Parts: sequence; structure tokens; C-alpha cells
Amino acid sequence: MRLSAIVPIVMLTGLAPAAQAAGEGHVMPLYAEPVWDGLPITNSMVMTWVATLLIIAFSWLATKRMTLVPAGLQNLAEWMVESLYTFLEGLIGHHMVKRTFWFLGSIFFLIITVNYLGLFPGVGTVGRVDDGHYIPFLRGGNADLNMTAAMALLFAVLWFYWAIAENGFKGFMAHIFAPKGSFKGLMMAMMVPVFLFVGVLEVISIMIRPVALTFRLYGNIYGGEQTLEKLMALAPAPFSFAPALPFMFVELLVGFVQALVFTLLCAIFIKLICDHGDEHH
Amino acid sequence: MMTYLAAAAAEAGGPLAPFKVHGALLTAQVVNVIIVFLVLKKFAFGPIQQMLEQRRQRIAEGEEKLKRIEKQLAESEETTRAAIEKANEEAVRLIHEAKEGAHAFSEQKAQEAISQAQQILAKAEAVAQADRERLSSELKREFGRLVVATTAQVTGKILTPEDQKRINEDALSKVEA
Repeated sequence: MRLSAIVPIVMLTGLAPAAQAAGEGHVMPLYAEPVWDGLPITNSMVMTWVATLLIIAFSWLATKRMTLVPAGLQNLAEWMVESLYTFLEGLIGHHMVKRTFWFLGSIFFLIITVNYLGLFPGVGTVGRVDDGHYIPFLRGGNADLNMTAAMALLFAVLWFYWAIAENGFKGFMAHIFAPKGSFKGLMMAMMVPVFLFVGVLEVISIMIRPVALTFRLYGNIYGGEQTLEKLMALAPAPFSFAPALPFMFVELLVGFVQALVFTLLCAIFIKLICDHGDEHH
Repeated sequence: MMTYLAAAAAEAGGPLAPFKVHGALLTAQVVNVIIVFLVLKKFAFGPIQQMLEQRRQRIAEGEEKLKRIEKQLAESEETTRAAIEKANEEAVRLIHEAKEGAHAFSEQKAQEAISQAQQILAKAEAVAQADRERLSSELKREFGRLVVATTAQVTGKILTPEDQKRINEDALSKVEA
């Protein structure tokens, strides 16, 4: 399939009619599809770019004439950033939030923007039909396991970096394997294998975290989109929005909650490994 | 690592195969997310956080200044209070000294007045005494002259100076007695 081989562009109000246009009973695939042949650029990736461009455009508009006394968009942008910053500061402390906010803030705003963009008309319903197979131009960014895995993977790498930078390699290993508490003599000898075993469990837990982050976000967003799509298929084309409408509000909540959950979990994992009393910094 | 293992498993046709977690797509998404985060860091969070930090610093500076001003005000109030207290003490001392001075001056002036009055009185007494003595001597002299003249007329003889002196002294001793 090449871009030049795009058959008719489907521009309809619901995916069910789009599917009908494609001549098949449509089921939203579990994966994102490449929009160009030969390039690893998927429709979810394009959605991420759109979200990024929107965030950057908003930031540019909000910050092009910054003043010490904020007004308008600057006020809104500062309120959003400062609220999240203060919230995370209360969780992981002043030192760590200063160090990690660029990541946590990006994660939160990117996820929430991508989630909300996925609810806009045209996402998943505007695309091309190639060899009888309908491929939307845009797909909910987080309804792609590669996207959620990429964010979780990046977090895992940064988590290791921050953990070792804050504790040192020895401190990091001690944090996982060393006995906690003050044991002496025989008690110490008995506790060492226990804590070594606990350390192994901790390592498994650490390795599971990015997988859990990946599937939690993907599952919630894909499930939501699939639900909306199935509900829209219940009514004929002019009214296909109606059954899904109440669930759009639920999806607004889910979009926010999932962004917050992903960010909060990242923050908590950072706190668990880097917390050694912020007041000392 | 786990995710890449999952990607490998999916590519190999494992349980993740339906999700198409593909090595190339995953790498592309990772690169994509890194670029997005760096761009957001530079254009979205950078300026806003810088402004927030600037404002936080200004607020902190303002609070610091406020504390300094409050401290200076307290010091100034303390200095003023001490100065007023000192001035009050000085004023009380001056009033006391003035009262004492006035009292001493008044005493001195009274003494001077008394002294002057006494002097005037003494002078008056001296003048009166001198006048009395002068009058007395004049009276005595006149009395003596009258006694001598009378005696000379009665006796019809010319009295010698010794007679005159004796008659005078005799008459005066009788008058004074």
C-alpha cells in the first residue's frame, strides 16, 4: 500500500458508517496502523504529534509576552503547571520535583491531551480504504501499546538514572537488598537471606512496573474507544452519536484519571527509591 | 527491558502478537516520545517554570525585604523609645535643676535684699546717730553759750575761759544727769 494508492477518503460522522463504506463489519483493531508504507509512522504517532503541536502552540501563545503579573492564557498555563508542580512537590518533595517535573509534567499533559483529542470527531472516522481495509488517519494515541510502552520504557530508564544518581550504585543496591532496621548478631545472620529474598521480589516488582503502566493506560483507553465505537454502531448514521453521548462524559473523566494515575504512579515509584528526607537537601 | 522482551515475544507470535508490539514501531515511539518530551521541556515547561521561579524569587525577596523593614521598624521604634525616654529623663533633670537653680537664686536674691536692707538700715541708723550726735553737740555748745552768757549777765563780770569751761561742764553734767 502506498500513499498514492489511497482509495476513497472516508469522512463520516461515525465509524460504523465508515466500516459500511469499507464494506465490512468493522472492529477497531488492537493495534495502530502505519499511515505510510515503509515508514514506522502509525496513526497513533501522528495523533501524538498533533497533541504535541497543540501543547506547544498553547504554550507559545501563553508565554510569548510573559509578564510578572499574569493575565489571560499565561494565567491559565501558569495555573495548570503550578497546580501540578505543587501537587507533585507535596508527594516527592522539592528537590525531586525540581529534577523530574519536566518528565512528569510532560507525561501528564501529553496523556491528557492525547486522550481528549481521541474523543474529537474525525479521530478513527477519517481515513482511507485500501484493498477493502479501512485505515484511519488518526487513532487515540494511548490506544496503541507501542505508545504506552514507549512512555513506560522511558520512565523505567529515567527511574534507574534518578535512583542511582540520588543514592549512588551502592546505595541503590542497599536500598533493594540490605536489611532494614538495626539487627545484630544471630538476628542479623537470620535476616540477611530474608532481605535478599525480599530484594529479589523487589527486582521482579521493579521489572513489572513498566509493563503494568503500559497495559493499564492502554487497556483503559482502548476499552473506552471500543465501547464508544460499539455504542455508535447501535444507531443509524445520522443518530449514531446518541448512544455514545453519555459515555463521552465518562471518557472525559477516564482521560483525566488515567493521565493522573500514570503520572502519580511514576511519582510514587520515584519517591520510593529516592526518598531520604527532602529537608536535608 | 521487559517491554522489549514482550515486543520480541509478540514478534515471535506470543500472546502479545495481536497488539503488534513491534521492535521498529516501539523504537520509533520511544524516539518520538523523547523528542516530544524534549520539545515540551524547552517550549512548554521551560518558560513557564522560569517565570514561576522568577515570581517565587521575587515573592521570597519581597518577604525578605518585609522582614528587614519590620526589623528596621522595630529597631527604629526601640531607638525612638530610648531617645524619648532619655529626653524625658533629661527634661526631668533640667526641670529639677531649674527648680533648684530658681530656689537658690531666689534665696540668694532674698539674702541680698535682706543684706541691702540691713545695710540701708545700718546706714540710716548711723546717719541718725551722727545727726543726733551733731545736734547734741550743737545743743550742748548752744546750751553752754547760753549758760555762760546768762551767768555773765547775772553776775555782771567777765568770765575767764576757765570759768566758762567749768560752768559749761557743770551745767552739762546736771542736764545729762
